[in-house]
Amino acid sequence: MFKKSLVLLIVMLLVVTTLAGCGQKPAQQSGSEQQQQEQQPAAEAPKNILRMAIMSNPPKLDPVFATDTSSSRIIYQIFETLVDYDKDGNVQPLLAESWDISPDKKTYTFHLRKGVHFHKTIEGKPTANGGREVKADDWVWTFNYILNPDTASPRAYFLDMIKGYKDYQDKKTDHIAGISKVDDYTLKIEIDYPFAPFLSVLAYNTFNVLPKEDVEKYGKEQFNFHPVGTGPFKFEQWVQDDKIVLSKNEDYWKKDKDGNQLPYLDGLEFRIVTDLAMEWTEFGLGNFEQIEEVDDPYYADAKKLPGFQEGPTLGTYYYGFNLTKAPFKGNKALRQAFNYAIDRKGLIDMVRNGRALPATGVLPPGMMGYDESIQPQYTFDPEKAKALMKEAGYPNGLKVELVYNTSEGHKRIAEALQSQFKNVGIDVSLKNIDWGALLDATDKLEIPFFRMGWVADYPDPDNFLYVLLNSANIGPKGNYSGFNNKEFDDLTNQARVETDPAKRAELYKKAESIAREEAPWLFIYHYTTHSLTQPYVKNVVLPFFGEYSMKYTEVKMEK
Amino acid sequence: MLNYIIRRLIGAIPVVLGVIAVVFILTTIVPGDPARIMVGQRGDPATIEKIRHEMGLDKPLAVQFVDFMKNALTFNLGKSYRNNMTVVQALLIRLPVTIKLAFASMVVAIIVGVPLGIISAVKQYSWFDYGAMFFAILGISAPVFWVALLSVVLFCVILGWIPGTGTGNGEWIYYVLPSVVLGLRPGALIARLTRSSMLEIIRQDFIRTARAKGLAEKVVIMKHALRNALIPVVTIIGIETAGLLSGVVVTEYIFSLPGIGRLSVEALVNRDFPVIRGVVLFMAFLFVLANLIVDLSYPFFDPRIKYD
Repeated sequence: MFKKSLVLLIVMLLVVTTLAGCGQKPAQQSGSEQQQQEQQPAAEAPKNILRMAIMSNPPKLDPVFATDTSSSRIIYQIFETLVDYDKDGNVQPLLAESWDISPDKKTYTFHLRKGVHFHKTIEGKPTANGGREVKADDWVWTFNYILNPDTASPRAYFLDMIKGYKDYQDKKTDHIAGISKVDDYTLKIEIDYPFAPFLSVLAYNTFNVLPKEDVEKYGKEQFNFHPVGTGPFKFEQWVQDDKIVLSKNEDYWKKDKDGNQLPYLDGLEFRIVTDLAMEWTEFGLGNFEQIEEVDDPYYADAKKLPGFQEGPTLGTYYYGFNLTKAPFKGNKALRQAFNYAIDRKGLIDMVRNGRALPATGVLPPGMMGYDESIQPQYTFDPEKAKALMKEAGYPNGLKVELVYNTSEGHKRIAEALQSQFKNVGIDVSLKNIDWGALLDATDKLEIPFFRMGWVADYPDPDNFLYVLLNSANIGPKGNYSGFNNKEFDDLTNQARVETDPAKRAELYKKAESIAREEAPWLFIYHYTTHSLTQPYVKNVVLPFFGEYSMKYTEVKMEK
Repeated sequence: MLNYIIRRLIGAIPVVLGVIAVVFILTTIVPGDPARIMVGQRGDPATIEKIRHEMGLDKPLAVQFVDFMKNALTFNLGKSYRNNMTVVQALLIRLPVTIKLAFASMVVAIIVGVPLGIISAVKQYSWFDYGAMFFAILGISAPVFWVALLSVVLFCVILGWIPGTGTGNGEWIYYVLPSVVLGLRPGALIARLTRSSMLEIIRQDFIRTARAKGLAEKVVIMKHALRNALIPVVTIIGIETAGLLSGVVVTEYIFSLPGIGRLSVEALVNRDFPVIRGVVLFMAFLFVLANLIVDLSYPFFDPRIKYD
């Protein structure tokens, strides 16, 4: 019996080890996977490596295909664009040292920084480009690659104003006409019409310079797993669902004001910790220098810590009214009634721990065109809401269903607002569906009342008012309410091509005023952003654009 | 024996195919377009169409199904919509973590469950018995996520015995807490089942005979009673081993372990159909395999069972 049991045990062990071994065989065929499987010696306490807990495994490290903030966080460290934003959202030089704009505002000439090199090694091995210098040809190639219809970059259309975009998309030419090299360090981009936020769009982190040799070596699908850029950190390892490791780019072009080589850190390690309670717990244990998210239960404690920073960011949380469907179609009074019926401050304090700013319009504070005095101001005024309900033809109240995407946070907000609505006779029932289903339905303008939110792609009011409410964008491009207002369209179209900032601001103020008056949304709150680092982490600048866009070039640790 | 294995494996094919068909249909009828999710909130319709075409989502459903089945037969499960990694590769990368976790949990469950069950049966209605069965009820009823969180607070924060979540650089210490947490439920089930099975056996005539002929109590229990009591226990071990795979979803999530459970959650949220299908297919295969191994192990415990 004993012998038989032993045999059985050995057989079972063999099965298990064989199965476990299965996982390692294919790994030997490819570099990164091999690394992923290799067991390393027991961890020593990392010295100059910043360890950060992030919530999810980024889908993409190839900037050409990334569309989400979890991917962007890593991409910001590996890749670089022509221009960048400073901490207040102004465009500043990055790989372009300076630029000239033609009098007709249709030609941009970028003077490229000298001495910028692609990463010489990644994953401990030489890259195909060999660490050569970035020149204008690389930018021409990169833009042609990103905008190539066969590449199918989901963000290519952000640059649809570049001359020749349509012909290139329709495959009438094999290159984009509007992008050309003047000399090795000068790049010219021509656009079809003056487009004020053009530089802001170029700072969007799809439009990073890429080394042709490495993109071609790995191909469109594998470059994602072997990203090569010019940024302060190089790619070293990506263990799916576990961690991403970056190391210092020793040849980075930037030095600090005292002439010291940047970055200061030897590397970054992003570990994926899906559970927010665990992130907080492990931060307390000193396992991380930074965590992505401080969940509500820990917010009060986190606020007392020296490494906690918080500030407004460019985003708006709202419930959309579908203006093509009853009961909101053609009923401005009803939409306004909803806006007067809710106590934003109370909601934010009770449900969001005070971590948001009340919204009474589309544009977030700090954005061009935002003005506190723009009317109407949707204060909490149940009496006015009731009066407007009467005017709207619902003196005895109405029933409506709110559809939101499944999430505990959205649910809490919806439930709080549900009870507030009840006070003015609005009976809101709640329905949750998942994000994909919500997008599908809102694209087709199927849902009368739905949750949505928007965080800026680039810090310009165009990215809010034009994208979310201009009738050209009804449907999947962003206008899920089906808002269609001629005057608003004219103003936002005009503001796109107007290059005088003062005139633009005026146009956007008028457009914002129309949006508030017409109330295509229930304006709820503007997002804030926060970061939490250990006290020995220095030079941490919380970007206005959201914590995910933080750069670690000048961050240092003083333990 | 070999004939039996072959017959069983052939018999499993329709089961696995049926599972694939159901999963394929379920994943395609739920609303939510993977291309749309991939493009993000603001999507250019032309780009969405292009991506749909690349993913093959623009083909009629029947064609997609036939393509999928054809490819599945050659172990080509397609590529993840999310990051273009092949599904087989995505599964294989995560398999070692899940196998280590499931195996360690089952070891914990057996090491804890079987002795508890034996002692409880031998000392029926003693304080030990009550204590062990209280533990068993607790183990079965306590939600995994709750036990996981509390155990982290105790062993990581208060006692500092375990460094934290994740897999570190592959050190075994990171698997201890998840394995214990995940092994708790099957351990409790095994304890209860071993107890009841033992109680039934030790009242039978042949045990009385064994005692009557003067065998030591230890030999009576361990050799005569346990061996006979183990058949139902082995069955439940087999089923629970496969069932652990559903437990790994929560455990891997809370302990941030990069295994198949996490992969399946991410895939579901992101409508990553090829990965969802791959995971389900893999799970179905494991269930079939676990059941087969259990059936094949019966003759070791009861020589009267033979497969010819």
